[in-house]
Amino acid sequence: MKKLLKIITSSLLFLTGTIISFQVKAQTQINSSTFGMMEARWLGPGTMSGRITAIEGVASDGKTIYVGTAGGGIWKTTNAGSSFTPIFDKYCQSIGAIAIDPKNPKIIYTGTGESNMRNSVSIGNGMYKSTDGGDNWTKIGLENSEHIAKIVISPINTSIVYVAVPGPLWNSSKDRGLYKSSDGGKTFEKILYINEDAGCGDVSIDPQHPDTVYASTWEFRRKPYAFNSGGNGSGMWKSTDGGKNWKELKTGLPPKPFGRIAFAVAPSAPQNLVAIVEANETGLYISADGGENWKKQGATMNVVSRPFYFAAIQIDPTDPKRVYRPGFTFSYSTDGGHSFADASGEGGWLHSDEHALWINPKNTSQLYVGTDGGVYVSLDKGATWNFIQCLPVGQFYHVGLDNKKPYNIYGGLQDNGSWVGPSAAPGAITNASWKSINGGDGFWVQPDPLNPDVAYAESQGGEINRINLINGKGIGIKPQQAPGEEKLRWNWNTPIVFGAANKKNLYTSCQYLYKTNDQGRNWVRISPDLTTNNKDKQKQEDSGGLSADNTSAENHCTIFTIAESPLDEKMIWAGTDDGNLQYTLDAGKTWTNVAANYARAGIPAQTWVSSIELSLFDKKVVYATFDNHMYGDHKTYAARSTDMGKTWTMFKSAEFTGFAHKIKEDTRNKDLLFLGSEMGLFATLDGGQNWFRMKNKIPEYVLARDIQIHPVTHDLVIATHGRGIIIIDDISPMRSMKKEIAEKEVVLFPAQPLTLTMGQFGGGGFPVTSGWVAPNPVSIPPVKYYLKDRVNSGDVKVDIYDAAGKLVQSIPGSKRKGINFVSWNLRMKPPKIATGGTKLDFSAFLAPMVLPGDYTIKLTVGDSVYTTPLKVVHDISNKDFTLEDRKLQFKTAMDLYKAHEQLAAVVDTINVKQKLIKDNIDKVTDSTLKRTMRAYNDELEKLRAESLGTKQKSIFADEKKLREEITDVYAAVSGQEAAPSNLQVQRVTFLQSEVKAKEQVNQQILKKYDQVITEGLKKEGLIPGGPKKGF
Amino acid sequence: MKRILLFSFLLTATIFASAQTVDEIISKHLDAIGGVDAWRKVTSIRQEGNMMVQGAEVKVVRTVLHNKGSRQDISLAGMNGYSIMTPVAGWNFMPFQGQMQPEPLTEEDIKEGQPELDAQDELIDYKEKGSSVELVGKDDVEGTECFKLILTFKSGKAETLFIDPKSFHIIRQVAKQKANGQEMEVTTSFSNYQKLPEGIVVAMSMTLPFGELNMTKVEVNKPVDESIFKLAK
Repeated sequence: MKKLLKIITSSLLFLTGTIISFQVKAQTQINSSTFGMMEARWLGPGTMSGRITAIEGVASDGKTIYVGTAGGGIWKTTNAGSSFTPIFDKYCQSIGAIAIDPKNPKIIYTGTGESNMRNSVSIGNGMYKSTDGGDNWTKIGLENSEHIAKIVISPINTSIVYVAVPGPLWNSSKDRGLYKSSDGGKTFEKILYINEDAGCGDVSIDPQHPDTVYASTWEFRRKPYAFNSGGNGSGMWKSTDGGKNWKELKTGLPPKPFGRIAFAVAPSAPQNLVAIVEANETGLYISADGGENWKKQGATMNVVSRPFYFAAIQIDPTDPKRVYRPGFTFSYSTDGGHSFADASGEGGWLHSDEHALWINPKNTSQLYVGTDGGVYVSLDKGATWNFIQCLPVGQFYHVGLDNKKPYNIYGGLQDNGSWVGPSAAPGAITNASWKSINGGDGFWVQPDPLNPDVAYAESQGGEINRINLINGKGIGIKPQQAPGEEKLRWNWNTPIVFGAANKKNLYTSCQYLYKTNDQGRNWVRISPDLTTNNKDKQKQEDSGGLSADNTSAENHCTIFTIAESPLDEKMIWAGTDDGNLQYTLDAGKTWTNVAANYARAGIPAQTWVSSIELSLFDKKVVYATFDNHMYGDHKTYAARSTDMGKTWTMFKSAEFTGFAHKIKEDTRNKDLLFLGSEMGLFATLDGGQNWFRMKNKIPEYVLARDIQIHPVTHDLVIATHGRGIIIIDDISPMRSMKKEIAEKEVVLFPAQPLTLTMGQFGGGGFPVTSGWVAPNPVSIPPVKYYLKDRVNSGDVKVDIYDAAGKLVQSIPGSKRKGINFVSWNLRMKPPKIATGGTKLDFSAFLAPMVLPGDYTIKLTVGDSVYTTPLKVVHDISNKDFTLEDRKLQFKTAMDLYKAHEQLAAVVDTINVKQKLIKDNIDKVTDSTLKRTMRAYNDELEKLRAESLGTKQKSIFADEKKLREEITDVYAAVSGQEAAPSNLQVQRVTFLQSEVKAKEQVNQQILKKYDQVITEGLKKEGLIPGGPKKGF
Repeated sequence: MKRILLFSFLLTATIFASAQTVDEIISKHLDAIGGVDAWRKVTSIRQEGNMMVQGAEVKVVRTVLHNKGSRQDISLAGMNGYSIMTPVAGWNFMPFQGQMQPEPLTEEDIKEGQPELDAQDELIDYKEKGSSVELVGKDDVEGTECFKLILTFKSGKAETLFIDPKSFHIIRQVAKQKANGQEMEVTTSFSNYQKLPEGIVVAMSMTLPFGELNMTKVEVNKPVDESIFKLAK
């Protein structure tokens, strides 16, 4: 029987082998790993940062702090905020809560999905746990919670974890409630549940009696056009048996209904509680008896404002009277909540809209607050604040690019206005490289394609300004209501779009579409109301629930996206937030609505049209994305029509996650498309048949709101809503990648001509002292090759040969799967320089730049060799450096290069002789020979000491001898893009004669001593015999 | 019927594939690098290699006498530096960084540096050496889905190892190192594995944060002069 089983197993194994090998062959799929070293640059910046939702620190060291963000994952610092590292880039980027095990700070719990329930809030996908300080994470449940407000760990038994789940914002759900795990997150039990519309907004435990648990429940709901906070499901609750039984706390609280309740238990005197209760009259309440009785306190506007959005209140860990209220501004009380003062502006502004606070329990003067604009630290209990500038978690909505060199990036951010920054800058791109150009919440920012000194930016609700980029002055150009028109309805995120065919055309829209071709001085309305104009969706004045909240965020029945065909300026498309998709072929005279047509492709009817992309290659080809998340449907909807919207084909992929924001067609390859969603960036190389998630230093679930491709550099620029601007430099390899290429073992791509340059910027300057620093793109295009698989055995190298077949430089090649880049610095190998001395000589790392001409790239992978020609050309754009200048520079540099190598040969000889003397002098018995050897050594040492610096008195007191003298001129000549000066050329002759002199002295010393010493050592038997062998 | 059989089989195969334990993975890894027996015979190892830094050649020699001493010599543009570790002492001399004389290592550095004295692979007899290994799961290393293991040494210092499930070679190591009171991650990738006459298989290429180190010569069990683990007078 066993034998039979063995035979079957063998057969199956054989079968498996077949299946697996078949699968492997079929699996040569193009995906993110195909593009290997094409990695993203994170531009940030950190200067405005983004919304922070959770901050927790390790009490035992006060320096290890975890920061959760609205759309940028989790960042960890181990130095109290000098630098941060992202530690959650493979998971959902919206963070609701973080908790650290008080007994083992390596154990971290994270609840994804922030609970600051504004219109643009993102969802999560459950709870995660790390047991190694955030290096590795495991998903542990509550997958459908969507939003998690707080996690509390019992200080006595840290396996007990409470999780407050407000639950979904846009739909009813049974997943709401307060959950408890008693086994460190292995299982969760729902211990407080009201109904499908009311979740748990806050939870705390009495640290001295951890079975005493307080929780607030919250009824809330958003619709695309309204928000409600409040209902009978909201309440304040207490359990004294770890959540088995609950009692509603009412005595002294205002009449129901309630909205959101934020509360805190005083850690050092836990019978004391404070609560902000949203009600018809929202107020601050305190209890001194464990919540049994409450008393209303007088409170400032800040303490009670916008309770659905500002849900943080905390009490000092050691002082029960010191209460902190991060909110619209930062308030604190020193008398238990009776009165409040606001933080001082001394030392700088503290960003408004605060959501998270960590107080170091070991040093309660040290506070970290999380705002809509990053993290601030206070060392005086919140009176003054310092901004932490190295968190690049800005929440961009859109991105625009100009044609300057280097090009600039324009974008608007959630609660952080509009900014412009460069794609490259001297040294690096720093916070200081970015400039604020408009206030409010920022959305669309468009540089004027015809005037480099002008851009257009807006704040919420279509408040558009034409900005003078030189002096920063803005002029309001928002179209106004005309007689007989309905009240204008401007989207929170109103489109500002330039014509793709006619760069003079600038469009914006409310329910009507407007066009200007004189920078907004004169507008023409070119459409009727393109929306459904459903009056039931236009009652924004009533929005907010118990607390009125009408900020234009709920404005509805508006045009949200506009596109002018790049092939015909009269063809314009517009998509609305209530699902209309319309086009005109006569510049606005007549319009056709194709909304019913996309619905036939499986996209829900009347879905928010989030982007329209009109093809560069075919006028009839239209792409669009649709966003139905405001009806609780987070699926990815993106589609293409090839017949002007009559019929649509929906793109489908198992990779897709998150509702769709943007689809972008490549400017060169019609089959290369990019799709940005709320949870990822995706690409297809075959016109949408197969999609893959873009990784390679892109957070896997990045909130990709907008995508642009620069027409000159071919960079892919992504506006993320939580990770600032991300750039993938030069996507040309994606354009040329085909399945046939991907299936080859090795491909060396043809090289474009390389221009001889030392980069677009000079080096040096003052180092960056703080803040986020983004690297520049490479200044010299690299050698590119493709490896089907990672090379684990055998070597990979890139050799550069000149036209004569001489090896110019050999460079180790990278071996990773996919596209690899190897940078050749357009130089030869550095010279061999005289060895020894007291410090590294720079010439050992510097080679002359090669001359223009024909070269060959030779790629060796294991035993296989691949070659491709390479043309190297002079930089004709540099008028200060002619080809003749370059030739003179090369000759001068090579003269000095040779001088270095000649001197190195002299010093090598000296070193060999001195070593022999050192090795043998103590063994020599003949005193005369010994004396002669000493004299020989002395003369050699004298020559050595004249050839290179051998003494150093201090860091700024090096000797300068011949090697260093040569380096002075060699480094200057080789390291600049200019002809050498007359005196530099003249100096070469002198240095050459000095080297010659050293060679002669060396010969004289050799002649004087060599034979004598050789004979003597032979005689003593210290070196092998032989009449003419010498040494 | 055939479909059912195939399905059952694939299911079984999946279970087999996912049920690999730490010990199984390590066992396959040790087989892939020449086997436990071959490595247990290693009493010394001397590796010579070079790397290019901005076109200049850096020569590196690593000499380990099992459990007695470890030394790395680095030569760059005629300057020579070294680091030495023994069970009780250690020194660093890096004149490239402006150091003018060797500096002794701290007690903590010596404690954490003890794994350097292991001339054998660190996973050979790791339990006996006081180390432990945890399988964290699978993780992507530049397009290769690898087994991710955390190796914790006796000192408490840990490193993460990524093992290629095809070759069972370690292709990446992420170690946390302390520098100036701060912990920093150092990532090293390994490739070009070759079998030596002694039967062990070693990576002949290592990619470090600042360049690629290629081995030019590896000697196993050659006599080592123990005086190299002392400061030269």
